[in-house]
Amino acid sequence: MKTPTTSRSDFISIRDFCFFYGSKQALFDISMEIPERQVTAFIGPSGCGKSTLLRNLNRMNDLVDGIRHTGDIVINGNSIYDPHIEVISLRKRVGMVFQKSNPFPKSIYENVVYPLRVAGQNKKAVLDETVERSLKGAALWNEVKDRLHDSALGLSGGQMQRLCIARAIANRPEILLMDEPCSALDPIATVKVEELIQELKREFTIVIVTHNMQQATRCSDLTAFFYLGKLIEFDETHKIFSNPSNKQTEDYITGRFG
Amino acid sequence: MPTPLPDHARDESRFQTAKTTLFVDRFMTVFIKFGGALVITSVLGIFVFILLQIWPLFAPARVTALKSVNLPERKFALLGMDEWGAKPFLLETNGRMLTVDADSGAVSEVEIPLGEAQGTPITAAALNKREQKIILGTADGRFVIVAPGYSSSEQNGVQSIAINPKAEPPVAIGLPGVPIVDVAYGDSGTSKLVVALQSDGEKTQLTASLFKRKRALMGRSKEEAAGSFDLTALVPGRPDKILVPGTGDSVVVLTESGSVCYLALVGEAFEVRQVFKPFEDLPEAHINAAAFIFGDVSISFASDSGANRVFSLYYPPGGSKRTFGLTHEFPPLEVSPVFLVSTLRNKAFLLGGGGDLSLRYSTTDSIRWQERMPYRVANAVISGKYHRLAVLDEENRLHFFAIHDPHADSGWKALFGKIWYEGASEPKWEWQSTGGSDDFEPKYSLVPLIFGTLKGTLYAMVFAVPIALLAALYTSQFLDPRFRSVVKPTMEIMASLPSVVLGFLAAIYVAPLIERQVPSLLLCVAGVPLVAAVIGFVWSRLPIRFRKLIPPGWEWIVFLPVLLCAGSLLWSLGPLFEAVAFVVTDPATGQKTADFRAWWPAATGASFDQRNSLVVGFMMGFAVIPIIFTIAEDALSNVPTPLITASMACGASRWQTALRVVLPTASAGIFSALMIGLGRAVGETMIVVMATGNTPIMEWNIFSGMRTLSANIAVELPEAPHHGTLYRTLFLGAMVLFLLTFAVNTVAEILRHRLRERFKTI
Repeated sequence: MKTPTTSRSDFISIRDFCFFYGSKQALFDISMEIPERQVTAFIGPSGCGKSTLLRNLNRMNDLVDGIRHTGDIVINGNSIYDPHIEVISLRKRVGMVFQKSNPFPKSIYENVVYPLRVAGQNKKAVLDETVERSLKGAALWNEVKDRLHDSALGLSGGQMQRLCIARAIANRPEILLMDEPCSALDPIATVKVEELIQELKREFTIVIVTHNMQQATRCSDLTAFFYLGKLIEFDETHKIFSNPSNKQTEDYITGRFG
Repeated sequence: MPTPLPDHARDESRFQTAKTTLFVDRFMTVFIKFGGALVITSVLGIFVFILLQIWPLFAPARVTALKSVNLPERKFALLGMDEWGAKPFLLETNGRMLTVDADSGAVSEVEIPLGEAQGTPITAAALNKREQKIILGTADGRFVIVAPGYSSSEQNGVQSIAINPKAEPPVAIGLPGVPIVDVAYGDSGTSKLVVALQSDGEKTQLTASLFKRKRALMGRSKEEAAGSFDLTALVPGRPDKILVPGTGDSVVVLTESGSVCYLALVGEAFEVRQVFKPFEDLPEAHINAAAFIFGDVSISFASDSGANRVFSLYYPPGGSKRTFGLTHEFPPLEVSPVFLVSTLRNKAFLLGGGGDLSLRYSTTDSIRWQERMPYRVANAVISGKYHRLAVLDEENRLHFFAIHDPHADSGWKALFGKIWYEGASEPKWEWQSTGGSDDFEPKYSLVPLIFGTLKGTLYAMVFAVPIALLAALYTSQFLDPRFRSVVKPTMEIMASLPSVVLGFLAAIYVAPLIERQVPSLLLCVAGVPLVAAVIGFVWSRLPIRFRKLIPPGWEWIVFLPVLLCAGSLLWSLGPLFEAVAFVVTDPATGQKTADFRAWWPAATGASFDQRNSLVVGFMMGFAVIPIIFTIAEDALSNVPTPLITASMACGASRWQTALRVVLPTASAGIFSALMIGLGRAVGETMIVVMATGNTPIMEWNIFSGMRTLSANIAVELPEAPHHGTLYRTLFLGAMVLFLLTFAVNTVAEILRHRLRERFKTI
């Protein structure tokens, strides 16, 4: 399997990773290396395990009952399952944007600074600076700068999702996980988020799960195709979409199933 | 050419709604509307019923004119009435009595058999209401006590009243042969005090004669003269009028200058206890009329200008003897009063002058009724049952009135204001519905009960809210779901425990236990949360290797045994703590004892009761905790999972997530839980009845009892006569309780709505 070279090609290293919900195995022997500051897209039909793998990268699956795993995931040389690592510090390192936008019932300002507040940062100057930087980073600043202290629930669907992105990048994580971030958005909002992803990859390593093949081609550098809990193919995006080496990949991207 | 439609596609019936569906739909619409209307109507019905019950408490007296009777032109010394109000009498100065039938208006004459005083002009006369007797003073310096001898008989359902006056032998008093101008007497049963004022234009003498009564084993008891006292020198100024209380141990003398001299019989002599001027601050201080109010502890005075004040006997602050002090002040009568008469039923009195009649109630400072008559009034008398009134005018006509005033001792001031009760040294809020004697003033202030309700609720909530909310937070956010499914139903079973069982437990087991173990309890209250905090701190500092041994949601396995050990250790340390911290020295013997029950009153001045607020707070907490817990737990569990995952993904710990995201989002539900718990605590009855001691006192002392509105209804209802003042006051208590919960619920609903708006999730 060929991996393109950038700054650090094995920034996230997944090694023989198997994952179980109770007795049901969801992931089978996944091994892959995700490079730094690139956009990696996970595609595949529903239930193929791409979201499960994504949610394992910041151990969000820990909240689910009766889970089990074998193998290892190493981020920047450190195993995320190292017993000396607090899961909280892992999640500060790995930010996440969810499929359905989930702002807190607080003001826009408080939503953005939430990661800082829980980390114990309460200096107003730092918080103000973070709000402006994060909202600018999420391309939302111009739309909300006059109503930072209004409820976040008054924003439109696309704005809310960008607010969630702003919140995810507020504490400057290294990695940004996006779980179908545009699936609930209209085309215009989708374009905005996709442009944003292109901006963000200069600073963050982005892993995005998508059902939208065009989205994967438009904004990712690498694409991984999953099927029935197995990694079928992982390559540069243009290669996957123009000349896949696997028959199943080809069938999926040409719309024969899925 | 299109293919013809298949047969089943032509069947239009598939688009029709089934008849039963439509019927059920319409029926349910009407049925639910009807049910809703029924519920609203019954709630309003209860409301209206209670309102009708309490309305008379605030209504004024109703006095209606019945009949006027013309009397012959005579001079009358006295006006009196039987207890039924059917046959008032007028005493002529020649010793004859006129009686007037209230129904027919017929006037008849009776001769009083005065014995050897027969024929002597009567110069003074007074009623002794308590004894239902008359005392007459004659022009030759003698007094005669006369019993009117009313008797009632019933024939064919018609009551007829007969009068048959009987006189005791005349007794000479003071200066022989000098006319008596005023006379009064008091009879305590064992002694009788007769006081007479004599004057012949030059000489004036005030004499008191004491008679002791010896009980004979057989036959009538004998009366013996036990001393005569010349009181003239003791009174500063010219005596004008005499009042003698029923106890016969003192004399109140009014002078012409408006002074009042209070003379008390101490041992074998009279001493001046107090001289005061009721209307000292007014330009015209002369007292026109004065009378003891029922109970003979208070005197109502009316001045020349119409001012009206009531003075009562009480121990002044620092004083060791009861003296008169101003306790009630009434609005002045516009005309100069000529008479002031009191009743035998309650603290009401009638003030009259010019054409004005004013019925007033001493305890509550209220004017029950006031009206201007088309004639000039001269005298009046109120029947013993406080239901008839007879007024004599200056043209010798007698006017009859019916008084309808069943709740004279009630009203806004009595129920909610501070009242200066007889014998008290200051105005107070007090609840004491029944007393030992007839002249007892019932005290109907709802304020101590409202206070008790708030106190009980407060202590219950202080105990219940932290425990219930923290338990709900822990169960919903931290505990393993498997335990959650056990804990929650268990708590719900606890909510269904009958409160009478809790009350029983509180009174029989918990109260005596707490009474003996207060220091242990204090140690536990302070120590257990502290130990919990220490365990939490130690746990968080443990290396992650150890912490990983316990899966999330199972931490209590480590926590519980440690906490239980700490708790029982602290409990057993209680006596030691008591021996060190709560030592009190007995002032009499100088002996030192370690007893919290004695230490608390000595250290704080507040009392220590076995049935106290601590017990109530504890047991009522038990009733309230499950309710708050269940509802709050539901609200916390219903916080959308995406919010929790979002918070976790931001690097928040479980505790931070619970505190910063879950708690605010669930705040509306938690608020509801608190309010429903509060409602339960406010209305809770059985626990409070059984565990508080039901003392209607007003102090925040945690070691004293209380009486709540609901407990008051439960305790007093069996003793409340139907439609009596107490009965209606209990309904008023119910109304106040209703309004209290209504107000709390309304405020809570508004706040809850706001919270929900603020923290609604998408």
